[in-house]
Amino acid sequence: MPRWGMVIDVKRCIACWGCTIACKEEHFLPPGVFFNRVLIGESGKFPTSSKLIYPVLCNHCSDAACVEACPTGATYVREDGIVAIDDEKCVGCRACMVSCPYQQRTYYDENVKTREYFPGQGKTEMEIIGEKLYPFKLGTVIKCNFCSERLEDGMKKGLTPGKDEDASPACVNICPVGARIFGDLDDPNSEINRLIMEKKGKQLRKEFGTEPAVYYID
Amino acid sequence: MNDKHQDLVETMFPSDGSGIKPYEWMISPTRQRQWIDDKGIFLWLAFFFSEIGAGLYFMSLFYSFRPGIVLGWLITLVLGGLIHMLYLGNPKRAWRMIMKPNTSELSRGIWIIGVFAVLGFLQIITPGGFNMVFNFIMGILCLLIISHGFATMNVVRALPAWNSTIVLPLSIISGIWVGHQLLQLMFAISGNAAAASGMEVWAATFFLAYFLCMLLYAWGTWHSSGAAKASIQRMLEGDLKQITYIGVGVLAILVPLVFTLIMWGGDTNGFLIFLRLASVCAGDLAIRYLIMKSAVYNPLI
Amino acid sequence: MTYKTDEIWEDKWVNTTCGVCYCGCGAKVRVVNGVPVKIEGIKESTMGGTGSGLCGKGAAGLMYYHDPNRIKKPLLRTNPEKGIGVDPKWKEIEWDEALDMIATKMKKIMEDDPNKILFTNQTMRASDGPHNHPYFYAQAYGVKNNGNFIIGGGSLHCGNACHMLGGLIHGAWSIAPDWRYTKYVLKWGSSKGTGSGHSAMTNARLRADAIRRGIKEIVFDPMGNFAGGKATEWLAILPGTDAAVGLAIANYIVNIRGEMDELYLKAKTNFVYLIKDDGTYMRHEKSDKPLVYDTKDGKVKEYDDTSAAWEDLALDGEYEYNGETVRPCFVPFKEHLKQFTVEWAADISTVPAAKILEVAKGWVDNAQIGSTITIEGKTFPYRPVSSVTFRGSQGHTNGIHQVAAIDLMAQLVGAEDVPGGTLGWPAIRRAYPGGHYEQTCTVGTDGVIVPSVFYSHDPWPVHAPSYPATNMGCVDVWTHCTLSHIPYVNEVDYIHEKLGMTSKPEMIFGISANFVISNSDWDVAVKNFKDCFVVQMDLWVNETDQAIGDLILPDVSYLEKDCWSSEIDAFFFSGSPSFEDWYVHLQQPVAKPIGESRFFMDVYIDVANRVGVLDKFNAKLNDYYGIKDPELQIKPGEVLDWKQIGERVLKWVYGDDKEKIEKQGYATWHKPIEDVYWRWNIDSRCPVYMEYLIHDRRNMEKIFEETGFDYKKLEMDMDQYTPLPSWFWPESHKDLDNEFDLLAFSYRDILHTNNTTFQNPYVDEVSQMCPYTFTITLNTTMAKEKGFKDGDIIWIENKFGVKEKGIVKTMEAQSPKVIGIAGQGGLWADGRPVAKGKGSNFCKLLPSKLKYFDPVAGNMETAVAVKIYKA
Ligand code: SF4
Ligand code: SF4
Ligand code: SF4
Repeated sequence: MPRWGMVIDVKRCIACWGCTIACKEEHFLPPGVFFNRVLIGESGKFPTSSKLIYPVLCNHCSDAACVEACPTGATYVREDGIVAIDDEKCVGCRACMVSCPYQQRTYYDENVKTREYFPGQGKTEMEIIGEKLYPFKLGTVIKCNFCSERLEDGMKKGLTPGKDEDASPACVNICPVGARIFGDLDDPNSEINRLIMEKKGKQLRKEFGTEPAVYYID
Repeated sequence: MNDKHQDLVETMFPSDGSGIKPYEWMISPTRQRQWIDDKGIFLWLAFFFSEIGAGLYFMSLFYSFRPGIVLGWLITLVLGGLIHMLYLGNPKRAWRMIMKPNTSELSRGIWIIGVFAVLGFLQIITPGGFNMVFNFIMGILCLLIISHGFATMNVVRALPAWNSTIVLPLSIISGIWVGHQLLQLMFAISGNAAAASGMEVWAATFFLAYFLCMLLYAWGTWHSSGAAKASIQRMLEGDLKQITYIGVGVLAILVPLVFTLIMWGGDTNGFLIFLRLASVCAGDLAIRYLIMKSAVYNPLI
Repeated sequence: MTYKTDEIWEDKWVNTTCGVCYCGCGAKVRVVNGVPVKIEGIKESTMGGTGSGLCGKGAAGLMYYHDPNRIKKPLLRTNPEKGIGVDPKWKEIEWDEALDMIATKMKKIMEDDPNKILFTNQTMRASDGPHNHPYFYAQAYGVKNNGNFIIGGGSLHCGNACHMLGGLIHGAWSIAPDWRYTKYVLKWGSSKGTGSGHSAMTNARLRADAIRRGIKEIVFDPMGNFAGGKATEWLAILPGTDAAVGLAIANYIVNIRGEMDELYLKAKTNFVYLIKDDGTYMRHEKSDKPLVYDTKDGKVKEYDDTSAAWEDLALDGEYEYNGETVRPCFVPFKEHLKQFTVEWAADISTVPAAKILEVAKGWVDNAQIGSTITIEGKTFPYRPVSSVTFRGSQGHTNGIHQVAAIDLMAQLVGAEDVPGGTLGWPAIRRAYPGGHYEQTCTVGTDGVIVPSVFYSHDPWPVHAPSYPATNMGCVDVWTHCTLSHIPYVNEVDYIHEKLGMTSKPEMIFGISANFVISNSDWDVAVKNFKDCFVVQMDLWVNETDQAIGDLILPDVSYLEKDCWSSEIDAFFFSGSPSFEDWYVHLQQPVAKPIGESRFFMDVYIDVANRVGVLDKFNAKLNDYYGIKDPELQIKPGEVLDWKQIGERVLKWVYGDDKEKIEKQGYATWHKPIEDVYWRWNIDSRCPVYMEYLIHDRRNMEKIFEETGFDYKKLEMDMDQYTPLPSWFWPESHKDLDNEFDLLAFSYRDILHTNNTTFQNPYVDEVSQMCPYTFTITLNTTMAKEKGFKDGDIIWIENKFGVKEKGIVKTMEAQSPKVIGIAGQGGLWADGRPVAKGKGSNFCKLLPSKLKYFDPVAGNMETAVAVKIYKA
């Protein structure tokens, strides 16, 4: 069984937000909901200050705070390392949301569901079809799932996640500079393991002990 | 032409400071919202009611005061429980919350409440229910319920202000203090002035302990980490400072202090006890509100 | 959370071309049950990012289709009063009525003078091709030159000076570093590889690989944001002062270090041409060719005389020719450079002298002068240093000298169009195997390259200034403007009157341009254009439409467009500059047109047919694509729509592979290495010494004298017509004083293409999460000193009382003397509610006087002295 993980190369990333937007399309996310974001900050003082750019998403932590906090078992770590939410089980207590040090979860309620991309002008065809094709359950928590449906479909067709786009997460595909590399953390020869080793990949906020599967290199 | 800049400013730079600048999300300390904003406010109330109900139950055990445990049981389960349900996204599935007691503090809490409900009911209906064993078990359960809210928050490592060790003692003391007050009032109302007066020496003690815990919490949190400090800062200087000064300074500390001094030596009076209780409850709510509202996550970069 | 696959009855990906900016990345769109739901890039293609990468705005392009604010029927103004803030009182009319109205109007004007019709190009909305067709569409009406074009999109902020020199030096529209082989890149006010510019994502991909390979990238920019924020080193510079630094580096190379690529200078530049005392070329009495001195034979020869070996040509010395003293133009050039010391440049630019020196040193050290590299069995000089610029540095009244100075340092070390150096955009295009349409550069007079395809007018050979002027842009007089600035200047009436321009415009036929708010002072734009009958084809009613539009026709977005031609002729605009294979994408419809919207090419054809010029247009098409096959040529009298024309042209261009290519959505074929570094193998010379400017100056001054055009009163700086790249203060700096103490500049945000993307809710949403996109940036310390903090609403006001509101956001990475505004915000059109009120408009702050435009290339001074105060 692989354990899926990602390396984000912040040196390559140009803060284009492609990942954020492609992800929104992939999952038909309503306005204000993001499974992927780009953090833009600054450090240092003029004239030697530098721009910080960190794309963030759910880290699919192997020791996830959200899983620990979830009282129902709705949030769980799958065998392939993906932290998933079973929306049949979620009671919407948001303990997971509060617990996630990375704040990668969103509560899907009436307020979110009724938002329109063109406020007051009704939902577009895309929003309407999205609700049908990719429905979220009211009163549950949603988040990035490493595009597991893409992965599964692709693998069924014999494709390799991280290599073939039909088996890879949407944000990895869209990234115009190859800053997102997807692969198997359990495979010592995988591209991501090589990068983590060579470039000394770091997890964000390692001190929370959640063991993120997303590594950053620069 | 248009002047929509103000709208944009409101979105990007919320003027009350309570909101989050979208571009600072997880870049600066970022506020916890789920468990206080919008429907999250129910959780604040639910935690409060569970606490005071269990506090009353707990104190009543010492006086074998059946009306006390009945009322305490009802407050905890009916008010606390119901409001909890209102908060949930899918209340119909609430039973599922018992599934993960081994990892989830919340799940453990649900178990405790369940056990408390059953055993409490038994104690209430059992003549001679106030025996050592029952009292001991119920006492422990009460303490667990009192601290349930804060314990659930305490395990959130992501929020340093909640993760502080002093959170638990603070919550237990506050539960006992409010429970004690409620019981004292019940005695005063039911005409048992002696009992009420006898309890006053404990009132002074609990108040002192409560006060010390608060100081300790503020001091400890301030010194524990950057994000935790930011929380305290928000209470003292930020948009929450009014609540801090009035809610905590006046209602939780000053007013009870004055009344306690007035009733010093057991010179109690039902009306004063009531006023003090009201102030203490409001103060307790304020503290809880502040702790929940001011907690911030560490920035990611 | 999972797909409900049982709800899906149709699920397909359609290959097309992204139309969100002008780069035209290959894109594919997922259509489920007839609804476009997702966009990704095309993995196989080099047009675009890594794998199936696209940028954020490209990924967000779906909203162009889904926007309920799109216009669905032609709209006619019923309120005769025009202006900003006036309700046009639109009335929906039928297409037929609208087209008749246009045709009638046009016919009437044409009886008098077709030059009274203005056209706009359409870079505003993207590579929504076709690219060059509006230019020759206009010609079909009898419109002369390129002076009848009002610029869309990037507006005059874009690259007149860059394009002019790009054409003269590389035969190309623009430049890029040779990412694959370079080691040391200098970027001057350019975001190539980090966001915008041509082939944005292609460049971003190539740059990311180069950065990972370990190249050094040094960015000169007023702010450390898109380019600077990603650079190995960012050096804060004041807008418009790049030339000073560039000239100081050139001086270092020539006079201090004394290490140049002499062979290159002798072989590929005009530095060896002999000049007379007045600075003009000494020419051969018969052939009129410039002359060189062969040191081996001790003789003066024609520059292309093959008996003289390159290495023997003189770069210095003084010679006699026909009794006159002549010397290689490098001699005065070298002397001229001496005045530009590093300290002098530091004073002007605020870049510390030590840093300039460090960069200059790094430049020469990395240039590896003399080294060669063998690629695919072919050997080329290897110069892994590249100096590139675009909009930022050239958008000043000294634009031409800015670009010349930045180019100069590359010339001196021979790092031009060779591996590792600065590459022109693909300037040539080979025919598809088995097809036609090949475009290669030729060598023109004086050995200067003539580009194969160029927008509007060719940079070479350049016509001599003449009068009377025949069109609004007066390009007869200003001969170097890719697109003319004259239509926007406040003194336009005076200019026209003096220069005898009698074709006062009466009508504009435009494509989604937003020229009222995207150039300079809005009021001047309204004044200059409001008397025209303004027809625009547009997706929404934009600001220009609302202010002065008379008739707005609903256009299709790129997602509904069947545009076979979109990239065929755009190789020089959006192809990969590297040695990657050729890729040419089609734009194929992924959904049905919204409402009654129609593709503007079909509207063009319909109108041309009604006016009676369709045959002419068709003939131009035949000519443009070089269609020789009589079967495929469009014949007189034939009325074909754009799709039907495509059937023929594609057949001509791709031969038997036409169907295959249509099916896969793009064509690709091999680009051999000699087609990348093609310039090395042709005998051409870069006119680094801009001798032509001496003649232009003489001609223009003569015209001005004869016509009484008082250029001095208009403060047009004719001194800039000098052959030597020199230092001139940009007009904005001259305006600085104690009160107006800041220079406002604008920059392109990776999320935005001009102003259209402001209406995209996906983009809007993430823009609000960016600290700088919708705000006005101030240096943190400067803001504090002036008493501003994040979130303050301020006014920015220029010397002419024009002001704009904005929200303050402080940042460290910005020069303390400037304020930055992204893109073209500050929008107010009712037709675009998402865009409304977002960001601030920088353009309106730019004064529209002639003196604020580069007197040579016509680009606008895109910095402005302002004061700021709390609103
Ligand atoms: S990032 Fe947060 S939501 Fe994702 S697995 Fe880790 S703890 Fe859970
Ligand atoms: S798509 Fe890639 S380059 Fe763009 S923001 Fe995301 S990680 Fe960065
Ligand atoms: S760079 Fe331009 S063409 Fe390429 S994806 Fe982005 S918007 Fe589209």
